[in-house]
Amino acid sequence: MSDVQVSNKAKWWKSADVKKTAIYWVILTPIIGYVATEVQLRSIGAPASEVMASVKSLMGIFTWAASPVAGLVAALALTSLMGKRHYGDNPPPDADHEIRNSPRAAATWVVVSTLLCLFALITGLIVLQKDSESILDAKAININVTGQQWVWNFDYPESNGVRSEVLYLPVDRPVVFHITSKDVKHSFWVVQMGIKMDANPGYVTETAVTPNKIGVFDVRCAELCGLLHAYMQNKVHVVSQADYDAWLSNRAALEGAA
Amino acid sequence: MNKRFFATLGTVILGAAVIAGIGTYVASAKNDSRVLAATAAGTLDTPQGTLPHYTLDIQAYPDSMFGGHGANGGAHPDWVSYGDITNFEVPAHSAITITVTNYDGGETLNNDYFGKVRGTIDGSATLNGVRITSVAPDHVGHTFTVHGIASKQSELFFSVPMQAVAEEDMPEEGYTKTPNVTVFTVITGDAGEYIWNCEYPCGDGTVAKFGNAMSSMGYMSGHFNVVQG
Amino acid sequence: MTTMMDRSASAPGHAAGKRPLIERLNIVTALVLGTVSAVVVWQLALRFLPETPETSLFFNREDKISLLSLIGWFVGFMTGIGALIGPFRWALGKDLNHDENMFLAGKDQGIKRYFRYTTDHKVVGIQYLVITIIILFVGGTLAMLIRTNLGHAQGGWIQPQTYNAIVGWHGIIMIVATIIMITGPFGNFIMPIMIGARDMAFPRLNALSFWLIVAAVPPVFISFFTGGITTGWSAYNPLASQAGLGMNGYIAFICIFAISTMVAGANITTTVVKMRAKGMTWNRTPIFIYGVVASVALALPAFPVFFLSQIMSGMDRAFATSFYNTAGGGSGWLYENLFWIMGHPEVYVILIPSVAALMEMAPVFTRRPLFSFNLAVMGIAGISGLSVLVWAHHMYISGWAPLLNAPFMLTTELISIPTGMLFLVLIGTLWRGRLWMTMPTASIYALLWNFMIGGITGIYLSDVPADAFLHGSMYVTAHFHYTLMGAGLTGALASLVFWFPKMTGRMFNKTLSWVSFWLVQIGFNVTFIGMFLVGLAGQPRRVESYAEVFSRGNLITTMGAYTIMAGMLVLLHGVISSWRSGVKAPMNPWQSKTLEWTVPNPVPLENFETLPVVTSDAYGYGKAKS
Ligand code: HEM
Ligand SMILES: [Cu+2]
Ligand SMILES: [Cu+2]
Ligand SMILES: [Cu+2]
Repeated sequence: MSDVQVSNKAKWWKSADVKKTAIYWVILTPIIGYVATEVQLRSIGAPASEVMASVKSLMGIFTWAASPVAGLVAALALTSLMGKRHYGDNPPPDADHEIRNSPRAAATWVVVSTLLCLFALITGLIVLQKDSESILDAKAININVTGQQWVWNFDYPESNGVRSEVLYLPVDRPVVFHITSKDVKHSFWVVQMGIKMDANPGYVTETAVTPNKIGVFDVRCAELCGLLHAYMQNKVHVVSQADYDAWLSNRAALEGAA
Repeated sequence: MNKRFFATLGTVILGAAVIAGIGTYVASAKNDSRVLAATAAGTLDTPQGTLPHYTLDIQAYPDSMFGGHGANGGAHPDWVSYGDITNFEVPAHSAITITVTNYDGGETLNNDYFGKVRGTIDGSATLNGVRITSVAPDHVGHTFTVHGIASKQSELFFSVPMQAVAEEDMPEEGYTKTPNVTVFTVITGDAGEYIWNCEYPCGDGTVAKFGNAMSSMGYMSGHFNVVQG
Repeated sequence: MTTMMDRSASAPGHAAGKRPLIERLNIVTALVLGTVSAVVVWQLALRFLPETPETSLFFNREDKISLLSLIGWFVGFMTGIGALIGPFRWALGKDLNHDENMFLAGKDQGIKRYFRYTTDHKVVGIQYLVITIIILFVGGTLAMLIRTNLGHAQGGWIQPQTYNAIVGWHGIIMIVATIIMITGPFGNFIMPIMIGARDMAFPRLNALSFWLIVAAVPPVFISFFTGGITTGWSAYNPLASQAGLGMNGYIAFICIFAISTMVAGANITTTVVKMRAKGMTWNRTPIFIYGVVASVALALPAFPVFFLSQIMSGMDRAFATSFYNTAGGGSGWLYENLFWIMGHPEVYVILIPSVAALMEMAPVFTRRPLFSFNLAVMGIAGISGLSVLVWAHHMYISGWAPLLNAPFMLTTELISIPTGMLFLVLIGTLWRGRLWMTMPTASIYALLWNFMIGGITGIYLSDVPADAFLHGSMYVTAHFHYTLMGAGLTGALASLVFWFPKMTGRMFNKTLSWVSFWLVQIGFNVTFIGMFLVGLAGQPRRVESYAEVFSRGNLITTMGAYTIMAGMLVLLHGVISSWRSGVKAPMNPWQSKTLEWTVPNPVPLENFETLPVVTSDAYGYGKAKS
């Protein structure tokens, strides 16, 4: 703004531009934070496990942590847009200053972004640690997951050789999945439980989860695996322990009929 | 000004037309839109009560020379193939009896999971008139495996193995006179769009033999749509 | 051969009589020779290559034949365009004489020089510009097919394997188009003038890098008719070994393109290091130059790895080796590692020059100095350095090495620090400037917006637990479009409008640039926000049909995509009509201070009458304080 000639000596925060930016910042940050979290978390839908719940809260936290940065950039951009604009085919006169640097701004910026980065890292590591430990749970149900072009199937080695193309799980019991593939790479994704692990031919990979909600959820393949990749999906039924036992004995009978 | 506006609009329309043209070509060039609908056959008593009954006859061949495929000079006459039409349409909430006549030999499944009859009424089928619930996983010619996208539509899954024609019964020329006939009945739920494919590795390639015929619609895979009756 | 041409010489090369070979080769001879040689090799191989034994599981004879034919095409095409004349003559000990060099530089040949093995960097720049536009058009058409098919839930408009092939084709050629879209046209045409040089360090390599791209394109086109790239652009093995003959086209394409990129990288890097004008110290070198060098220098380690990974993939197919086949002792994880060791640096190959180009424009359109040149250089260097250490963030959930997830999460999140520096430079330059509202100016704001969204969503993806949910979903697709298209392409389109006057001698039509800007940016955000939403709701990527819960988001996305299409077609119209009949451009329409604006239009063959001497950087805008 041409009427506010700011000399180096003047208090920088007294400049009209800075004040305007600060106001925009204060207004924009909560709006960005709210809209972005709301839109994202709503799209995700209700979690069906602890793991998914923590993914949701992580994304919420990250979005809120990022919104002051996004808000600041937006505020600065807005302030600059609100200044003198020039349309036309010839350039406007030069700006009224030749600021080439601001060690103070640069240093603050770098320090803050480093802190935010550390914050993201640490929150992520905490959740990661929690998730990784669950694979070692000795009381968990073990299920072998086999991907092949273009159907999943699930083996329950601890339950009389029950096999199924639909996943049945008892609620509130930890489960460890041992995942492999018969042909190309697939990716085993239980959407509402927030777990995913690739199925690799010739290797067994592991992931674990404790479903905490009774209901019907989705398994989808998340790695392009050829012709019918889009159809390599099925349901997960999370049921009470009693229903689960009934299902198992039913299935065992069918399997035994072989 | 006006002239420039119309010139620009012209470019946009022309460009969109070119893109639409390419799209139409790509979409039409590779889609076989022929559909085989199930034939009505009265009613059938099932564990779920008396339901409208329909039948569907399907064949599986060691190549694509037979019937429509060969007569049409299909693109890959040497690829194994199910009957010449591979898209099926069956009514909702009905009993569908499917007869698969298999003229092809075979060997071992990648996953013996598909050696069992799954998802049919009481988990069984008849092979040349004899009731079975599975086929030895190293004597499978093809499987007929139906599944769909996880969505609001009813869950529908069934998979039936076809016994391979014995090696010595496979003639050098033409097709065997003694195909294996497998018959099974499934019950459909609400209308929905499903897909079927074969789980026996009968294609080409170094990886799991799921190349070529197995990786192209219209040979070892197709649509299986359940429609309002 | 010396690279500087003597300005005093002038005699045109071709007198009467029989024209020498060098003057008779052009794109037509190249196409003819390439086709003939491909067909000959194909027929010979068909006849003489032994049958694969009946017992073999493999269909590798056909792979051998098609790979050999593609090599035949490549050798024939490069011979036909004249790429071998120089090396051949050099081997004979009789290097090209002055007249021949002048001929190669395209002297006095009018339009014809654009269809020859021309070494003048300005001709190469224009050639790159045209081929980038063509590739973007094809890639855009494919994107429209993808989006039309996904317009309603049960897909089915295009059959699944064709759909997969279209996704793969769209992906790889868009990646290639975006890799070359800045360093190709502007890196070749503008960069040497900007540093005050008469040409590139190795003009013949310059022509070579362009014609290699032309040679690479037909294999990928043909692949569509021989089964297609049904694996997606990443061509993961073992899926790629299973795929049909079309994969060989991909392999040939990547190998040739990788050579082109390496050649261009060596050439551009050498030019900038050795040929800057007197007085152009590193402190005075424009930031765009840093961006271009960082981009091609990153490609130098990345593309040999890509090349190698595809050679191995080709061997797995043609010779039944098992580099990637677990059953034979190999591993698909090997491929994934090789691919992403290339793949991650490559996204910065695309991004950095775009951001640098906008940084170059920012002072021009705000009439004030660039804010913190040093931070900009540090940011570019930091990103480049870190980008080679983060590849396994694409493999968090592959099961390859769960223990390495935490370290790769660290390196990945560290990238946000140098990235933040680039933001500060841009926003700092906008701060209290005198905004000159042009399409490039608006593009700076658009980049800030899009790249902010792309960057923040990148942090979610870098977080292992969140990625376990998001990986392989449409969320990823939306994220990388925000960076590659929202940031990368936006910068490239701004560069086009900005440098159009110098490259074509005419101004880009202002109205059209604005109309297309708004259509593209609005359409883009609608498209990819819709895609974020379906990704979060659980739609996997690369699917030909999807559950009906995703219908609404996909419909929004498809509407947005059509808007982008309209915008890009308006832009195309702008390019064609402005080039043909736009307003004649003055020498320096933007009153910019970099060197390329000190030469007349059209730029003379050797750029500068006398080589300039630089005494300050190019950002001396703004009035000193009273
Ligand atoms: C500079 C521009 C663009 C670049 C660099 C680009 C790049 C890519 C890449 C690398 C892929 C991944 C392909 C694969 O998974 O193998 C892709 C997929 C896709 N692109 Fe683009 N693209 C661009 C423009 C567009 C546009 C304009 C649209 C739509 C309007 C679009 C829509 C899509 C869609 C729908 C997919 C498929 C996503 C999936 O199913 O995974 N792209 N793009
Ligand atoms: Cu898949
Ligand atoms: Cu089969
Ligand atoms: Cu990456």
